[in-house]
Amino acid sequence: MKFTVRLLSGVAVAALSCGIAFAADAPAEVDTSTVARRLTADEYRTIIADVFGPTIELGGRFEPELRVKGLLAVGTTHVSVTSAGMEQYDVMARAIASQVVDAKHRDLVPCKPANEKAADDACTGMFMAKVGRLLYRRPLTDAELKIYVGAARVATNDTKDYWSGLSMSLAAMLSSPKFLFRQVAIVQDPKSGQWRMEAHAKAQQLSFFLWNAGPDLELLAAAEKGDLETKKGLTKQVDRMLASARVEAGVRAYFTDSLGFDEFDTLTKDAALFPKFSAQAAADSQEQTLKTIVDLLLTNKGDYRDIFTTKKTFLTQELASIYKVPLVNDGPNGAPDTWVPYEFAKDDQRGGILTQVAFTALHSPPGRGSPTLRGKALREVLLCQKVPAPPAAVAFDIVQDTNNPLYKTARERLKAHATNPVCAGCHKIIDPMGLALENFDGAGAYRTSENGAPIDTSGSLDGVNFTNAAELGKAIHDNPATSSCLVSRMSSYATGRPIDTGTPWAQDLLKSFAGAGYKLPSLMREVALSDEFFRVSPPDTKAAEAAAPNQPAR
Amino acid sequence: MFRSLARVSKSSLAAGAVVLAGGLLGGAQAQAVESKTFVVGWFSEATYSQDTDCVGGINPNIDDQYLKNLSDLGYTPAQIEEMAKKELDGENSPIRGLMTSRARVDGKPANPYAYPAFVADPKLKSSVSKLAYGFDLDGKAGPNSVEDPQTRQKGVDNEFARALGCMRSFRGSLESRPTYFAWAWGQLKDSQPAWIVTISGESLSKDGDVTVTFDRALEHLRSNADGSPRADATYRIDPDPRSHNVLHGKLKGKELTFDTPTDFRLLQNPLMAPMEFKMTRAKLRVTLKDDGSIAGIIGGYMPWSEFYLGLGTQGPGTEYCITGDIPGIYYLLKKHADADPDPKTGQNTSISAAYYLEAVPAFILQESAQNPRTSSAR
Repeated sequence: MKFTVRLLSGVAVAALSCGIAFAADAPAEVDTSTVARRLTADEYRTIIADVFGPTIELGGRFEPELRVKGLLAVGTTHVSVTSAGMEQYDVMARAIASQVVDAKHRDLVPCKPANEKAADDACTGMFMAKVGRLLYRRPLTDAELKIYVGAARVATNDTKDYWSGLSMSLAAMLSSPKFLFRQVAIVQDPKSGQWRMEAHAKAQQLSFFLWNAGPDLELLAAAEKGDLETKKGLTKQVDRMLASARVEAGVRAYFTDSLGFDEFDTLTKDAALFPKFSAQAAADSQEQTLKTIVDLLLTNKGDYRDIFTTKKTFLTQELASIYKVPLVNDGPNGAPDTWVPYEFAKDDQRGGILTQVAFTALHSPPGRGSPTLRGKALREVLLCQKVPAPPAAVAFDIVQDTNNPLYKTARERLKAHATNPVCAGCHKIIDPMGLALENFDGAGAYRTSENGAPIDTSGSLDGVNFTNAAELGKAIHDNPATSSCLVSRMSSYATGRPIDTGTPWAQDLLKSFAGAGYKLPSLMREVALSDEFFRVSPPDTKAAEAAAPNQPAR
Repeated sequence: MFRSLARVSKSSLAAGAVVLAGGLLGGAQAQAVESKTFVVGWFSEATYSQDTDCVGGINPNIDDQYLKNLSDLGYTPAQIEEMAKKELDGENSPIRGLMTSRARVDGKPANPYAYPAFVADPKLKSSVSKLAYGFDLDGKAGPNSVEDPQTRQKGVDNEFARALGCMRSFRGSLESRPTYFAWAWGQLKDSQPAWIVTISGESLSKDGDVTVTFDRALEHLRSNADGSPRADATYRIDPDPRSHNVLHGKLKGKELTFDTPTDFRLLQNPLMAPMEFKMTRAKLRVTLKDDGSIAGIIGGYMPWSEFYLGLGTQGPGTEYCITGDIPGIYYLLKKHADADPDPKTGQNTSISAAYYLEAVPAFILQESAQNPRTSSAR
């Protein structure tokens, strides 16, 4: 039994409002779902590139994303599309569609119309069925295909241009919620009676998690053959995807989300204080951390916890000058910076992603470093421990005044600030970790003193003492919460719903993760093969009926 | 092939504090020496402009100078007034067209920048200041010698400063950058190869003998987000020996002096493309600053015609917007040239000058040594 409702959404109407009057009159039959996740900007870009090639320009901007429970991925289940956002989706849809049919890209259409000034339903149907399967991550229904073929026909008749007609119909498809949202169709298992994801929903659940992309043809075919309903078939596909180079995109997407790199979009630094922190440095610093992670966890199949201690990384010339290490670009004068593998010395304070520019700079205000922000990020992002928000009406002036001769270092300023008992509780749990990173200024450059006073980087984490950033990295590495937090966040990322560390599924995953030597691909495999990964709630038939009273559930 | 780091630090690998692997200083150092490397982040004529430099004020703005030039070309006051009115009203004035062909070769209009000697000398003013940065290059105090306002040395030769001291765009101070040089530096710093300075000695924390080398890099200067020179960037040294300059001197405190006259040449001029930068009998002084950077003045004799050529090839746009009357500068340079007379004409071919440089710490990579590519943060 397949659960569907008829839905004529505002989104669909808006999408079809580009002069294609027939579309609004047609019944827009849409599979609904227990969960719908709006495509992230990165997912949208990847799908367009996969389907139409990398030269297609989007020509618009995306709705802001929402971070829920520390992850944008969880936020995708909470966001809708505003009218202004729909305008942008419509702009992008038209821009993309017009490029797809232009002379440069027309080869994407697998047939030639008999007459370029007249409609050609057969050719249109062939093209729309082909791209619709990839855009919707499932085959179009006959009704859907009929609508899009009809749309192209009417538009062609109006414009007397086959390609314009095809473009308008494709634009409507790209503006559809079926494309913009990852809708999860659910089915009832005939044997158990349990509700579960329909095969194509499973396929996209897998592909967005493992590849940060829509399903490829092989995965869609597997779904259509019913392979994903068997353990053997599912395993085969998961292992194929994990063996693919595209898994790097999945890993990058997860860490980009989990480490909050979207906040770089609004990160600013005082150029007078941190002149080296250029736009290129900001971009390179994110890439450095991602390269470090990918190299360790995928290329070298290393222990996840080593990302906090590894001395191996990659640098560009722009970053090297911040790290104050020599790094040459072998290219001619003016050549773009190159990425070069780099290994810090064993006794170097640098080591692990916490000491990289991306982490230290991102968790700092524009004009100084911040042990508090860094400590908070460590607790919340890496250990999954909630830090309460500061109480209202707290005075931060002592902390923020870096020129006060009485408090030359951040440690001294925080100590003075924490004399306020309202503040002391939280600072007690976050500052010791953040202070260990005080050797790195607000833009991530190394320093040993602040305002002429030596910096004390000692502290403790859950009873483990450390004296500097390198030892903090080791303490994070050895802390049990580090690996359980990854399990929690990665499973939350994969499903789009918060998975606490204490849930049975998270506990099972942690056990197998530890047993596999904390190898990330192993954890991803376990997640992807879990029943919980595809778990859905039974349909709320009353809500569905209320939403569409004239279109009862079938 | 440039694969290797020639210099590693004594205690930690850090820009500006390195030890030579040997050989860079022409084989002069058999033992390890301490070195600091820098990339030049600002280079300009060393100017010390004062209000009293120019009798009756500095030379006219180019608009006014053009009106004088029209008179020299034989236009009547009425004609000039009419053209000036059109210029002011934004109408199609012929002034600029006349100025870009104000040379007369065989009586025919010609390009004044290519043929400055065929333009009537506008007789621009020179500076009469008795203060200018530089060095006593000829060992004698002449009537035009000046005093260095920094070292208080007398007998300083800097005719370049006297020649251009009343041109608005060449006036300034070490702190307030002269317009022309600031503009030229800004135009070229992001494309022309950088200059690398290496200071070496047995110990740079003790007084003693030191050597400084100037080399051309293969990369242009790397800049910060605010446009300032980026410290701790890495450059490759151009192996072309024509751009390798060595000066020997003394370190006392934080002051380095290089009094032995040395010919200085780099295949590229950071202020004029595609010119070289050449000085003969050059002397140098450098200060090691507390922030790790250096600042210094290099003085010597330079071929004035090459400086002019650099200006002349820039043409009317630069003349109008930046430099002022370019043929007028030709005559000033020719008049103030004070060395190396042409054996046939007796015209001096070189002019004494002083330039100011600032440099920030940098890494350099040399050919044929091992690059450890590991480091300790400092």
